[in-house]
Amino acid sequence: MNVNDYQNEFNKIISRKYFPSRLNNSRQKAFSKFLDIGLPTKKWEDWRHTDLSFLNKNNFRISEANDAFENIDFSKYKIKNTHTLVIINGHYVEHLSDAPKELRVLTNHEYLEQNDWRQKDKKDTPFDLLNTSLCDSGMSFIIDPDTDIDKPIHILFICSGSENLIISPQVNIDISRSSSATVIEQYASETSSFFQNNCVFASVKENASLNHLRIFSNANKTINISSSYIEQSENSNYKYFQFVDSGALQRSDIYNSLKGTNSNCFLSGLTILDDDQQSATYITTDHIMPNCTSSQNFKSVLNNKSSGVFNGRTIVREDSQKTNSKQSNKNLLLSDKATMNSNPQLEIYADDVKCAHGSTTGALDNEALFYMQSRGLDRESASSLLIRGFVIELMEEIENKDLRDYLFNKFDNWLIKNN
Amino acid sequence: MLEINNLHVEVENKEILSGIDLKIKAGEMHAIMGLNGSGKSTLSNAITGRENYNVTKGDITFKDESILEMEPNERALAGIFMSFQYPTVIPGVNNTYFLRAAVNAKKKYRGEKEYDAATFLKFVKSKLKEVEMDAKYLKRAVNEGFSGGEKKRNEMLQLLCLEPELAIMDETDSGLDIDALKIISRGINKYKNNSRSFLVITHYQRLLKYIEPDVVHVLIDGKIVKSGGKELALELEEKGYSWLES
Ligand SMILES: Nc1ncnc2c1ncn2[C@@H]1O[C@H](COP(=O)(O)OP(=O)(O)OP(=O)(O)O)[C@@H](O)[C@H]1O
Ligand SMILES: [Mg+2]
Repeated sequence: MNVNDYQNEFNKIISRKYFPSRLNNSRQKAFSKFLDIGLPTKKWEDWRHTDLSFLNKNNFRISEANDAFENIDFSKYKIKNTHTLVIINGHYVEHLSDAPKELRVLTNHEYLEQNDWRQKDKKDTPFDLLNTSLCDSGMSFIIDPDTDIDKPIHILFICSGSENLIISPQVNIDISRSSSATVIEQYASETSSFFQNNCVFASVKENASLNHLRIFSNANKTINISSSYIEQSENSNYKYFQFVDSGALQRSDIYNSLKGTNSNCFLSGLTILDDDQQSATYITTDHIMPNCTSSQNFKSVLNNKSSGVFNGRTIVREDSQKTNSKQSNKNLLLSDKATMNSNPQLEIYADDVKCAHGSTTGALDNEALFYMQSRGLDRESASSLLIRGFVIELMEEIENKDLRDYLFNKFDNWLIKNN
Repeated sequence: MLEINNLHVEVENKEILSGIDLKIKAGEMHAIMGLNGSGKSTLSNAITGRENYNVTKGDITFKDESILEMEPNERALAGIFMSFQYPTVIPGVNNTYFLRAAVNAKKKYRGEKEYDAATFLKFVKSKLKEVEMDAKYLKRAVNEGFSGGEKKRNEMLQLLCLEPELAIMDETDSGLDIDALKIISRGINKYKNNSRSFLVITHYQRLLKYIEPDVVHVLIDGKIVKSGGKELALELEEKGYSWLES
């Protein structure tokens, strides 16, 4: 895609009748800014280790109404005991979805109407600007106060068909006070090339809790760029788990603001890659108020020429005394061509806090392999046990058994191919 | 059972073992003693096939077949077991799960029916009793958070479950309290029979109070300089090693 290509797609979006023209102004502003800034290059600090050549080499068009194919085999996406909401190439397919009645599902148009057309704040990064300008699929999920939704809500973003599409969803998840829910976003592409550029806003109000899982299982020709903005009020809990097992490039930028006292935010993730897949996770956890707990616990297993980045930043502001914060990043390289860049960072401006961070990257432990072999296990079984042992603690943090089983199954399939 | 002929072993291009000859018959127990760094663990590692322990000359045969070309797991399946001087911690791998995988690998090799989880648990619990180990250790990752002595008991447990014909005990007695030492020795004595042999590496005569080796060897600078009956251990305890050094 070059600048002209983006311009063409932009022109199409703003002339679309079924999008509110009220938004055109903000689209226009964002797009001009995007044109000014341009796409990131390797000279940009946060993009040094991210190769975007795939994006530059391929062309994508925005999705049209008739791109909502339904001849898709959904069985492999089925997670037991969940409510599934299906979005195909950016189009919500209501008759394939079973939203629980306690969940209000709005289009972003409706959502904006209910919120005085106040747009959420994003960073002025090229991809977030592009998301604002090209946003074509907006979904908002609202859980009213004092409501617990017991079964997880599984939002399935499927990309399918023979055309290269750019899909730009914006997802709003509002968990009102004293409510709780588990929300799974799953991104899956099947055939041709896709460019998924999405923004997610989650707001977790007083005494509320959100268990947020994101599964990125895209085909090798798909790139997914994803920003998440999470705001937490007092006494709230936010748990995030990210599972990446494929894709040409998966880039996550996560911004967490702990804006209320006594709130907790636990972020974790597992990335398993092969071929020349890339994954990069950039996190900013911002402790604004006192007495909050946060953790970042990320692992990756990289095979062949795949590469990963972990950039975890935790800011503890002056007023956020009694903060308790941990960062850990551990990486296992299964090939000497695989690379990992790990950079956990703490920025502490308060004095009465407990913070720790650590990072390790290494190959399989030969001592452990020999130990297991000396007990009669062949090398393959031994390394399989070791790799599984490396991820098990992280995976077991997923409390919901059906979800855990689903992801373990994905992991085990990956392991069979990569061991 | 085990025959070692003129064995030379190099580690990182440095010769550590310089011509070892050793013959252990079925049912025999041999002990090896020697100063730190004399090459005792190197010998165990060479027998079990550890990477980077390169045999440059000589041969090791087990049950009349050379094992030099065999992978470590093939040697294990053939019946060789080593109790590690420093047992490895294996994070994330459950002790019971690992042990069952190992026992089943052996059963499969022998063409026997493999254990399912429930029958294995019964089997392993009977073995736990013999080493007076608490079942809670089965729930942990292999050797994770185990004390020095607990690791050694875990090695002994593995031995009892895997039923090797040749067990190499590399300083299994080091770091054990007196009760644990008795338990391990009792285990060894009970396990030993006409068709099972032991190669016991130790620094202490005290172990040899509880188990009776048929032959004691003294290893100095990668060579066996003297072999004798168990009275040789007593002599070493009294006189040290200097009188044997050339
Ligand atoms: N993996 C290795 N890398 C480098 N040197 C090694 C290695 N293994 C053994 N060595 C060297 O070989 C020599 C013999 O070591 P070995 O462990 O066999 O001694 P040992 O007799 O078992 O001693 P100890 O009584 O202290 O256990 C030592 O000098 C040791 O440093
Ligand atoms: Mg030793």
